Amino acid sequence: MASADTSLSVFRFPFKAMGSACEVVLAAHSEIEAQSQVQMAKTEVMRIERKYSRYISDSIVTKVNQNAGLAPVACDDETWALFQYASKLHAQSGGLFDITSGALRQAWNFKTAELPSSDKLEALRVKLGWQKVSLQNRQITLPIAGMEIDLGGFGKEYAADRAAQVLQGQGVTSGYVNLAGDMRFLGPKPSGEPWMIGIQDPRQTDQVIATLPMTSGGLATSGDYERYFELDGQRYCHVLNPLTGWPVKHWRTVSVTAPATVVAGCTSTMAMLMEEDGLAFLQATGFDFLAIDCKGKVYVRQ
Amino acid sequence: MVHRSAEVAVAAIKQNFNLPELGIALLGAAMSLPCIMLDAQAETAPEKGTLSFKYLNYKERQQVTGQAGNSSGWTDSQSGASAYDDRVRVKATASSVLLPLNSDWSLSGTLVTDSVSGASPAYHTQALSGLKDFRRAMDTSLTRYLPNGKLALGLGYSGENDYISRAVSLLATQASEDKNTTWTAGVGFQRDLINPANQMVVGEKKRGADWLLGVTQVVSMNDIVQFNLGYYNGRGYFSDPYKIYDERPKRREHQTFQARWNHHFSELSGTSRLAYRYYTDTWGIRSHTLDTEWVQRLGSDWRITPQLRLYSQNAARFFVEVDPRIAPFPPSPLPNALHFSEDQRLSAFGAITLGLKVTRQLSLDTSMDVKVEQYGQKAAWKFTGAGSQGLAPFYARSIQVGFTHSF
Repeated sequence: MASADTSLSVFRFPFKAMGSACEVVLAAHSEIEAQSQVQMAKTEVMRIERKYSRYISDSIVTKVNQNAGLAPVACDDETWALFQYASKLHAQSGGLFDITSGALRQAWNFKTAELPSSDKLEALRVKLGWQKVSLQNRQITLPIAGMEIDLGGFGKEYAADRAAQVLQGQGVTSGYVNLAGDMRFLGPKPSGEPWMIGIQDPRQTDQVIATLPMTSGGLATSGDYERYFELDGQRYCHVLNPLTGWPVKHWRTVSVTAPATVVAGCTSTMAMLMEEDGLAFLQATGFDFLAIDCKGKVYVRQ
Repeated sequence: MVHRSAEVAVAAIKQNFNLPELGIALLGAAMSLPCIMLDAQAETAPEKGTLSFKYLNYKERQQVTGQAGNSSGWTDSQSGASAYDDRVRVKATASSVLLPLNSDWSLSGTLVTDSVSGASPAYHTQALSGLKDFRRAMDTSLTRYLPNGKLALGLGYSGENDYISRAVSLLATQASEDKNTTWTAGVGFQRDLINPANQMVVGEKKRGADWLLGVTQVVSMNDIVQFNLGYYNGRGYFSDPYKIYDERPKRREHQTFQARWNHHFSELSGTSRLAYRYYTDTWGIRSHTLDTEWVQRLGSDWRITPQLRLYSQNAARFFVEVDPRIAPFPPSPLPNALHFSEDQRLSAFGAITLGLKVTRQLSLDTSMDVKVEQYGQKAAWKFTGAGSQGLAPFYARSIQVGFTHSF
């Protein structure tokens, strides 16, 4: 493989962004060199967070949500491209991957173990559906007050890809960007060996259930263990099906590797949303994956 | 530019990894994102082994134009009784195995057996003489995978009663850092030993060497083009000992130029493959081949590939044309001619091949395919000019059944 460059050392830079633990790992000749490279990558992650977080009051997403039922909001090139991508994902998943699903959080509060009434879910139905959103003349309109969009479905993955691109532009050829488990790789370790990435056990989250060798491309995981509550022995996780209004149940975790993190992330989320059909879907993509169903059975393609 | 390189990478992935339609669609959707680059991974040794088996049944026929010479032995051609005569029949099997040794090396091997029977003309399309032969061929290749390329060493052996051939080859590919350009260079050497059953000649030899240079370029998300240049230089016994009046030059060189263009139509889930090949040799033959294929996916399990190939060549400089005044008897070569041949394969003709291949994916690891081809050859089908006169049209059909399993 690539010849080992002994003058390179590996540096790790943990940081917090998007409400999660993140990390940039890269090989450089000195810590100072590494630090300046990492700074640019972090800046890109922060830029995306500030622009697209629904928790930040002057983000474009907040602006779009505040104008729901009121007025169109003009989009810059990047935002327009992200919405176009959301449209394609919505179409490719038969409406399951829907960035307007966030409105369901008005019914599902994962802090208390409580099921929403069917009336409440029924009332929310009108606020759901990307097909209702108008995208015209570089303007987005949410037609109904209370509708909201949320780029959480692929924002972190997009940021990982963009940060990795920044690092690549700096000449980094060994390392990776890890944004709370959504990862993009920039080349093998300086020794030429792959990075060995542990996949969390979805039931004992301090345990690793598998280790994947990674050198390039993206790795993303969706699981039912990030935010959930249990009631009468049934787990209700934060991945919500916009067509039923209910959490998905079939998969505990789905990890996918693909040529870009954003593709890996959307593929794993779609598989979660497709429930039993997710396996055939994963196999049909041709991407490598590791999936564990609700009975603990492991499915792998690599 | 960055956006474009992402598009290009998808085609590279399509090319290198043959991702199914859904994987391509998911990658394609991400292409609308600004500055998203995709990592096309370097080709590594396959993780799975592959076993494949093919059976081929090939049968030629040619219109009977009259009866001349004596049909020897067991051919049962009847004068004037039927419009067509069977010519050569081939039944062949090929078994291949590909074994990954580790992440850097793989080993592959193929064993071919074929039995040939039937009859072939001793000159032009006349004077059938029977033939029966059994051929066994094997080749093996060892491949080393490098960060951006691979190196393959091949050894081959083919043996039948009257012809033994040994070959060695080396093929190298190197991809650019972005995997959009792949260079190929290859060299091969062959040594043949010829001992015909009729002992026209004994222990004749032929040696050849060929070189290949190629470049494959991903031009857009849906387009890949490829250019290849080939050169062959051979010395030795090129004549056909079973034909009468066949004395060919002891030397042959040929050059080929080939261009290919594959275009993927996402909305149709289909791919068009166009190829053109130009061939020229020191015997004065120039040929053009136009090949078109359409690969249509139907659902996730079926693939249907219709094919049309058009071919045209002019005659070798020393080809002796049919003489209508004495036909169907063989014309004598000019008294001072050094080289001469009345082999119809060296005449001027055109040919059309129609093919259809159906592939069915039986499971993730297993697939089956059936391919049917019909070949026709006529002087009148030459692209320009009339072609060599007095030769009966020639037809062949082949049926191939294949089975591939990864493990």
